[in-house]
Amino acid sequence: MLEQRIAAYLAHAMPAASAFVVDELARIYGGSSQETFRFRGCWQEAGQAIERRLILRRDAPAGLVVAERDLEYNVYQALAGQDLPIPGVYFLELDPVWLDRPFFIMDMCPGKPGSPFAPNDPYDGHGTTIGQQFWTILGRLAAIDHRAVGLESLRNGMVTSGFWALELDRWEDILDEGEAVIEPAVRGAIRWLRHNPPPEPVKPAIVHGDYRSGNFLFTPDGQISAILDWEMCHIGDPLEDVTWAIDPFWPITRHLPLEDGLALWEAASGSALDRQALGWWQLFSAVKACVIWTTAATSFASGKNREMTIALSGIRGGHFHRDLILKMMRERGAMG
Amino acid sequence: MNLTIENALHGIDELLRDRIGPAISDPFAAQMARLSGLLLRICANGVDDATELRVTENAAIRALLGAAAPLLNVPLASQMQAASISADPGLKVSVLDAENHRLRGLLVIAQIELESLGSEAAKALDQRIWRQLEAIEDSRAPRE
Repeated sequence: MLEQRIAAYLAHAMPAASAFVVDELARIYGGSSQETFRFRGCWQEAGQAIERRLILRRDAPAGLVVAERDLEYNVYQALAGQDLPIPGVYFLELDPVWLDRPFFIMDMCPGKPGSPFAPNDPYDGHGTTIGQQFWTILGRLAAIDHRAVGLESLRNGMVTSGFWALELDRWEDILDEGEAVIEPAVRGAIRWLRHNPPPEPVKPAIVHGDYRSGNFLFTPDGQISAILDWEMCHIGDPLEDVTWAIDPFWPITRHLPLEDGLALWEAASGSALDRQALGWWQLFSAVKACVIWTTAATSFASGKNREMTIALSGIRGGHFHRDLILKMMRERGAMG
Repeated sequence: MNLTIENALHGIDELLRDRIGPAISDPFAAQMARLSGLLLRICANGVDDATELRVTENAAIRALLGAAAPLLNVPLASQMQAASISADPGLKVSVLDAENHRLRGLLVIAQIELESLGSEAAKALDQRIWRQLEAIEDSRAPRE
């Protein structure tokens, strides 16, 4: 029973406490790179009965991307107290003896996610105010000096320029490893991106890496209560998160016009966004998405991961973003 | 009526969606049952013309490689010319996919060369390749 194993781990992690009980364990649908469970933990500590609602994030056998195991935990720790809605984290365990794979435990935040694929309003009438908070929070993230919060160890953390090339190289390398049937459209887009580099950002930013509709929680009164899924966090050009957020697969612009959002981002970050560079990063986002879907398809096909979301992401997401790449390349004159 | 693979997969999809999914109390497992049905439906809709689609696509890519050959330098031109007159080594989907992968790889090489040439003929063929990639993506769109 997973409940008993979690309770045993908590007893190990909190030697001053006793009488651990874990119940109401349920897997949460949605996370594809890691397995996510919610549970209730009860124990006795310093003569008091403690009851906590917690989340367990465990490595999947194989996910959408190869995530560094402790990355998300370290980011949550580093960004605590930075005026960002994120859960508190408690234990990071890399030893598979406890729950078969590495995991960490964090607070269960109030609220629910809004699915970007829902046919009706995923934000229960709060789309505008949520869109405004969404951009303000992203601007605040971009304003944080990653070195001041101890995040130099993130990918590109010691670099000051050339983020576009580093990230493009990275995603192309992952594509090289995982592509079962080569996609000339994706390869052509990568060549276009290399031949038409974007301007450098004003300054490096902490890039969430998967900042989008569906990766945050909101409460019934329309407040964003937690930004989640930081497994792909790195240092780079803030436009990477901006264009990921407006990708037509999960566009936050469904709830707030782009210019309104960018103005809020600029106010919160204290920096100006180079709108001329948006197009480059939008194509980059489509390429990045294609690589993620390719990895998903490969991991399902290999049998390493048998989650239906992984298979469907590979099929539907892959087609969507290749089609988007072709539309973008047509706009750039590739078809004549 | 013949009980085809397509027909059987659609039947399992309906079973998962209409009977098994609603009977599962665990929300995660119920959602997985629904998504499993959807995956089966996409597979079912791609069964009947899977071979035809790949044979057609491989032929289209060979035609492009044949058109590229006269524009490229000698070793590459020979490689493209040989590929353009090659035939599918079999009709199993796995065999056609392997051949498709080989031909697509050559198409990428041809496009890289065409981009570097810069002549009007090279540019026109490159644009023709991009239009063919659009057609390929259209034909491969998952059918739900």
